Amino acid sequence: MPENNKIKLLLSEIALYNNQASYKELFILMHSRLSAFAYSILKSKYDAEEVVSDVFIKIWEKRAKLVDIESPVFYLFAAVKNQSINKLASQKKQRQIASEHWVAQLNSVYFDPEKLMMTAEMIRHISQVINTLPPKCRMVFKLIKEDGLKYREAAELLQISVKTVEAQMAIALRRIGKCMHLDVSGQASTQSVKK
Amino acid sequence: MSQEKFWILFSKKLSKEASAEELLELEELIHQHPEWQYAIQNLEDLWSLDPVKDMHEEEDAYLLHLQRMNDASFFEDQPENLPVSDYFPDENRGRRIRLKWIMAAAVFIGLIITGFSIFHNKVNAKGATDVKQGDISEISTRLGSKSKVQLPDGSVVWLNAGSKLTYDKEFGQAIREVSLTGEGFFDVAKNKEKPFIIHTRAIDIKVLGTAFNVKAYPEDKTTETSLIRGSIEVSVRNRPNEKIILSPNEKLVVRNRDIVAPRIKEEKVDLKPEISINQLRRSPIDSTIAETQWVENRLVFRDESFKDLAVSFERWYNIKITISDSELEEARFSGTFSNETIEQALQALMITKSFRYEINSDQIIIYK
Repeated sequence: MPENNKIKLLLSEIALYNNQASYKELFILMHSRLSAFAYSILKSKYDAEEVVSDVFIKIWEKRAKLVDIESPVFYLFAAVKNQSINKLASQKKQRQIASEHWVAQLNSVYFDPEKLMMTAEMIRHISQVINTLPPKCRMVFKLIKEDGLKYREAAELLQISVKTVEAQMAIALRRIGKCMHLDVSGQASTQSVKK
Repeated sequence: MSQEKFWILFSKKLSKEASAEELLELEELIHQHPEWQYAIQNLEDLWSLDPVKDMHEEEDAYLLHLQRMNDASFFEDQPENLPVSDYFPDENRGRRIRLKWIMAAAVFIGLIITGFSIFHNKVNAKGATDVKQGDISEISTRLGSKSKVQLPDGSVVWLNAGSKLTYDKEFGQAIREVSLTGEGFFDVAKNKEKPFIIHTRAIDIKVLGTAFNVKAYPEDKTTETSLIRGSIEVSVRNRPNEKIILSPNEKLVVRNRDIVAPRIKEEKVDLKPEISINQLRRSPIDSTIAETQWVENRLVFRDESFKDLAVSFERWYNIKITISDSELEEARFSGTFSNETIEQALQALMITKSFRYEINSDQIIIYK
């Protein structure tokens, strides 16, 4: 939510003062998430960049109207989605439009082990688990964990129910948690033996 | 069971989606299972880490973006090789660009894909967990604008002002199904294996390959369909057993029963049948059909009451019209407009019937 407020502020600076620095800041802030999302739909780096650029051209062009958006992060994702789908349609790739064909690239596997109280073995295990989450699960996990969307918003983008988002998040967390859980049960048993 | 619940609640907590009750419930669960504590702690730590970000990549992307704005002659009267900060248009140029965008949008398809909303099948909503996960394409037109759409199967639909056409990802797989609110002219690509079905609030229309017009604005008193060629099968809501087959040059008119009449006296006077089939009248001059002229950007009306005509004007010109006199409401007009402004249109009407009007920004008041 603080991020939405930040973006609202940037959008109003863009709208009211044609502030180019704010425009650039918004671009830098959102670019990697939006282009990754476009990529998950389009599967082409070039097309994904073009879509994000098109969306930002429209943001500049429609700036006067963009001051009253409730959830700008979601708005940007929805704009990227629509633009991506239009692109697929214009390329006659109708089959790829449905969200079950979207493939998310996850970022959170590249975390810094020094900041975590975990063994290297465990971290490797977790990375592996995250990388092999089922496609729908990854897409949901990406939108919620990495992109900061609400359940409701992710559900709307993916055309699934909020209950499904809940379930997919639970699956992702359970799988990651299991890496730790196994470890912990091992530790617990050795400890109890010592005692 | 409690494990499943735990993971749902815990992921909600991490995503800041959990309600106060859910947080309490989670506390309760964790309390019962102290052995989960280690995993919980680690997951919370993991969650709070920000993914590594490459700022250079963003800066490069931004430069490319500015370059594209320039290449697309988005700011076309800019001399080349200006410093980056000068690529931004001033207010005047902004307006020109806005116009360019409007034109580009019109050329592109002129339609706005307004986004995709979750599709909750009414039948499944009854507590069934297997809610159909549709992927809905929605095409809508604003008041005062029209657009032409090509569907994935090659069928072409012209959408009149203030209309909405939706179809889901299943479209064209076994059957071709769309829903329409408002008015559309359909030229359906032939495919005997996959019937094309249009759902409106009052009627469903099943076709194999043909051209016809459907007018189903929710605020109108009737839903109409006019057949130009081929044949269509219409079933009326609440009367699933009756199928009406239309032949070319026929128009089916169904009263929208659930529209509440604004005045009680209207209900008494209204003797029109619930369903009627009329012949389409062709113009003696050029043998055109009034019902489909809007596709050619002509607003055609034949012996229509001022009240009904005002509704067409509201859609056509995107303006609110109030007729403040009941006799004027019933005055009847025939005519064709294409490029006329609203004022020119009103002045043309004044030739046959005297009235006065007043325009305040987006509203017109008509009085004696």
